[in-house]
Amino acid sequence: MAFGTTSRRGKEIPRGTGWFASFVLIALILVTGSSQAQEVRCGCEFNESGTESDLLTGEALNGEIWAFGTEGVAGKSLDGGLTWEFDNFGSLDWSSSDSGYGSIAIASSNGTVAILENIGEGGDDIGQDIPSIPNGVGINAIALTSASSIVTVGDNGEIWQYLQGSWVNRSIGVEEDLFSISFLDSENGLISGEGGIILATTDGGISWDYRDSPAETSESRIVGIDYFSTVRAYAITDEGHILKSSREGTVPVGFVWNIVEIEREYPPGGGDEFEPGGNTLDFEVTSVELLSQFKMILTGPNGYLALSKDGGNIVSQQMVPVSNVTVFNAVVMQDAFRGVVIGDSGLVIRTENAGEEEFVGFEVTDFNDFGQFVDYSKERLMDGLVATVKIVLFGIAMGFTIGVILSMLKTSPTSLKNVAQMNRFQILSMVVIPFWVVSQLIIGTIMRLKNPIDRPMSVLREKSAHIAASRPVNVFAIRLVGLALLVLGYLQITGTFEEVRSLNLDGWEHIYVPVGAPRAFASILLGIGLLILGVIFASCNGDFSIKEFDVGSTGKKLSLNPWGLRPLNALATVYTDFFRNTPLIVQFMFIHFGLELGRRVQEPGLDLFDFEYLKDNANFLTNIIVTYETDLSSPAYGHPIGGVLEDRAYISAIFALGLNSGAYQCETIRGAIAAIPSGQMEAGRSIGLNYMQTMKLVIMPQAVRICIPPLGNEMVNLVLNSSLAMVIGYAEITRQGKLIIATTFQIFWTWGMVMISYFVITWTLALILRYLEDKTRIPGLGISGGA
Amino acid sequence: MSDSILSVESMEKTYVGGVHAVRGVSFEVHEGESLAIIGSSGSGKSTVLRCINRLIEPTKGIVRLKGEQINTPAANINDVRSRIGMVFQSFELFAHLRVMDNVTLGLRHVRRMGKEEATEVARQVLERVDMLDRVDAYPGNLSGGQKQRVAIARALAMKPEVMLFDEPTSALDPELIGSVLETIRGLAEEGMTMVVVTHEIGFARDVADRVLYMDEGLVAEEGPSSIIDNPKTSRMKEFLSSINE
Repeated sequence: MAFGTTSRRGKEIPRGTGWFASFVLIALILVTGSSQAQEVRCGCEFNESGTESDLLTGEALNGEIWAFGTEGVAGKSLDGGLTWEFDNFGSLDWSSSDSGYGSIAIASSNGTVAILENIGEGGDDIGQDIPSIPNGVGINAIALTSASSIVTVGDNGEIWQYLQGSWVNRSIGVEEDLFSISFLDSENGLISGEGGIILATTDGGISWDYRDSPAETSESRIVGIDYFSTVRAYAITDEGHILKSSREGTVPVGFVWNIVEIEREYPPGGGDEFEPGGNTLDFEVTSVELLSQFKMILTGPNGYLALSKDGGNIVSQQMVPVSNVTVFNAVVMQDAFRGVVIGDSGLVIRTENAGEEEFVGFEVTDFNDFGQFVDYSKERLMDGLVATVKIVLFGIAMGFTIGVILSMLKTSPTSLKNVAQMNRFQILSMVVIPFWVVSQLIIGTIMRLKNPIDRPMSVLREKSAHIAASRPVNVFAIRLVGLALLVLGYLQITGTFEEVRSLNLDGWEHIYVPVGAPRAFASILLGIGLLILGVIFASCNGDFSIKEFDVGSTGKKLSLNPWGLRPLNALATVYTDFFRNTPLIVQFMFIHFGLELGRRVQEPGLDLFDFEYLKDNANFLTNIIVTYETDLSSPAYGHPIGGVLEDRAYISAIFALGLNSGAYQCETIRGAIAAIPSGQMEAGRSIGLNYMQTMKLVIMPQAVRICIPPLGNEMVNLVLNSSLAMVIGYAEITRQGKLIIATTFQIFWTWGMVMISYFVITWTLALILRYLEDKTRIPGLGISGGA
Repeated sequence: MSDSILSVESMEKTYVGGVHAVRGVSFEVHEGESLAIIGSSGSGKSTVLRCINRLIEPTKGIVRLKGEQINTPAANINDVRSRIGMVFQSFELFAHLRVMDNVTLGLRHVRRMGKEEATEVARQVLERVDMLDRVDAYPGNLSGGQKQRVAIARALAMKPEVMLFDEPTSALDPELIGSVLETIRGLAEEGMTMVVVTHEIGFARDVADRVLYMDEGLVAEEGPSSIIDNPKTSRMKEFLSSINE
C-alpha cells in the first residue's frame, strides 16, 4: 500500500478560498443552527480540507499534520493545516492514533493497526506490516511506546501490546471497557475507562495497576486521559468532569486524582465574567488535548470546543453558540498555539492562538502607551465616578433636608415664653403632630383621602384655645415644671463628676472629657441645660418681659431676657457650630471608624429589611435601601449586592457628607430667609396664614430661589469634598486614582483624568443649577431676577 | 350709628429698647365707617394699625373685633387676621406668585376653598380693582399703583370685616396715586369699614367719615373730617400747615 508518493489527487487550493469557505460554513451554521444562533464567534479559521469523509483522529509530528477518518481516508498538511492532500489508506475507519519516535500509529476499532514511519523526512511509507490482534479484539485507543512498540486498549478490559512482531495480552482481568491510553515516555503510561477506571504502568505497559479515581466519578466513563508531564495529567469524563492529577511530593502523577472545580462563564454561552459553580461542564466531551501544564482544549460531539488556560477552572467556549451540526472529533496541535481541530464531514479548523476567540494571553500591558493606559484605567474611573455620584446625590439630598430644617429652626421665633405658655392640649398636640404628618403623607397625599387625625387635631386646637381663653397662664404649674427640671438636672449631673475625676486628667486636659467620658459629659451638659431652664421656670412670676438691672453706680444697665431664649435656635446653633468648626476629613474618620455609624446603620437595617422577607417583596423603593442576590446559583445568594445598606463605608460617607453639608447649607438658606423682606411674613400673616404656612408658601419659595447660587457653591463643594471619602476606604474617584497609580505609575495622566472626572460632575451640576436658576427666576425677586 | 366693629381701648406699646410709641390710644370704628389716622412721622400711627391685627403685640390695652377681645392668647390670631384686611405701604405682594395666585393664596390655605371657587372669588375682586387683565403677571412686572390695587384685592378677597390701610399711597409716584385712592374711595362708598393711615390730607377730608390726629403716641384731636379745615390744637395746625407747604 503506497501512500504519499503516489497521491497528488488533492486539489491545490488558493489561499483566499479559506475565507470564502469559512464564510460559507458560518452561513451554513447560521442557517441550519438553532434559532437562537444569531451569530457564530470562533477564534479558529475554517479550512477547506478537500474531503467529505468524517475525520476521526489526527496527529501532528515534525511539522506535518495528519488526519485520518472513515473508509481509510487519510490526509496530510505541510503548512499547518492550511492546505491538505488526501488519499485513501485502506478502507477501514481509522478511529485512533498516536505519534512519536518519528512514527504515527493508527488503528481501527476492529483491531487493525498500521504504523507510518519517517514522518517529516519525505518518502512517507508504511513501515511495518502489523497483523491484527488475535481473536478479533477491538481497539479503542492506541499508544506508541517506542518506534515499534504499541499498546492498545479496547472493550471489556482488553490491553494488548505489540512488541517485536507479535501481540501480547496485557489484560489484568478488568471487565470494564477501556477508552483512552496515554504515555508520558516509553515507561510511564495511563489508561482510563468506564466505571471510573484508571490504570497506570511504570514499565512500558507490561504490567498495569489500579489507581483511585475520585468518588464522584466512580460510575463515570472516563473517555479521555492525557499524561502530559511528570507533574501533571488530566482526564475527562463524557459527563464533563475534568480530573487532574499532580505529583505530590514523592508520589508521582497518577495516584491522586481530583475533580476540578469549574468556574462558569457569565452570562452563560459566551460571557466575559466567570463565577464558581459545580464540577461538570454542561456539555458532552470526548477528547482533551493538553497544550501546556495548564492549558487544554476540550472537544465534544455536539460542536463543543472549549479552551482552558488554568487547568480547567475556567473553561471558555471558543465557538459560540454551540451548534450540534458541527462534530469535533480530535484536536491536533503542533505546539501550544498552532494546530487544527478536525471533525465530521471533512471539517478542519485551524488556529494559531490555541483557538482563542480573542487574543488575551499573558501580554504585559504597556502603560506608557496612553491608549493602553486609558483602556486599563477607564473602568476603574467609571466605577469611581458612579460611586462618587452615588454618595453625592444622597449627600445633597440629606444635606439639603438638614439645611432646610436647621434654617427653619434657626429662624423660628419660638421662645421660652411660648414654651412656658403652652397648655396641656398644646403639649398633647405636639405629640400628635408627627403622626399627623405621617398620615397626611400617606392618606392625604398618596391616597387623597381625608386624614382621620385631622379631627383630633382640630379638637385639640379648640380645647387649647378654650383653655387659654378661660384661664390665665398657670404660674404655679410653670414653677412646678421648673422645680421638676431642677431636680432632673441635679440628678443628671450628680455622680457624673466622679466619673470625670476617675479619668485622672490634669488642668487643660479636661477639654478631652467629651471623648474620655462621653456619657458623663452629655449628662453634665444636659444637666446644666435643665438647671438653667429650671431656674428660669421656677422663678416665673407671670411676667415674661425683659428685666433690667442697674450695674453698680456706673449708670449702665444690664438687661436680662431669659424668656426670649430660643431653644430651637440654640439646638441648631450647637449643631452648626460643631460641624463647621471641625475638619471634614476628621469627621469622616470619626464617623466611620470612631462611631462606626456605617455598621450601626447597616446591621439593624439589614435586620429590618431582611432577605427572607424581601426575597418575594422587593420593589424599587426597597431596592434603593438594599438589593439582595436572588439567583440561587450565585455564591452571593442572599447577600446584599446593592442599595444603601450594602456597604458600610458608603453609609458612613453619605452621613459624613450630608451632616457636614447640612450645617453649611443651613447658614446659606438662613441667609436667604433673612434676605426676604420682613413685610412678606407680615403680609402672609395678615391674610391669616399661620407661621408654618407662611414659611412654606411665601418665605421658602422665595428664599430657595435666592439661595440657588450659593447653594450651588455648596453642592459643588460637596462633590469636591466627597474625595475625602477615600480615607474611609470608599472607592470613589480619588481612591480609584490612587489604585490606578499603584498599578501603572502614571501619575500625571491619572490625576489629570481624575480631575477631568470631577470637572464633568461638578460642571454638569453647575449647569443644572444654572438652568434651575434661570427656570425659577421671577421678575422682581432679588437683584439677579431683574424685572 | 350702627354697631362698633372695631374698638381700641387705652392701647400702649413700648418697643424693646424702651421707645414708648403708643401711650394710650382709644377709638372706635363703626360698621361702614371709614376712619383716617393722620399725624407726623413717628407719631405712632402705623404702630396702632399693626397692633390692631397684632403684627405688633400691644403692651397694654384691649382690642376688640365685634365686641370680642382679640389681643389675648385665647383668640385664634390667624382667624382674627383673616377677618381683618391689611394693605401695606410697600404692597408686599408675594413676589414669586402671579397676581391670581397672590389673591387666591389666602382663600385656598386659610379659607380652604377649592381652586375653582377661589379663582372665581379672585376674579370678582380683581375686577373690582380693575386688574382683571393682569392676572398672569408677576408683581415685578406691575407698576406701583397696579401692585397696590392687587394688594387691595388680596385683602378684599378674604371678605374682611374691616380693612386697614397703612399709608397705601406713600410709596407711589404722584401720577399713580390717583387710581389707588379711587379704588379706596369706591370701597368706602360701598360701605366697607376701614381704617386708613394716610398723609393724603385731601383724601382724608373727602373720603373719611372721621379723622384722628395723632401726636407723640396720643390722640391729639378727633372728629369728623371737617376738623381738617378747622383744627383746634396748635400741633395739628402746625402739622397741616407743614403738609400744605
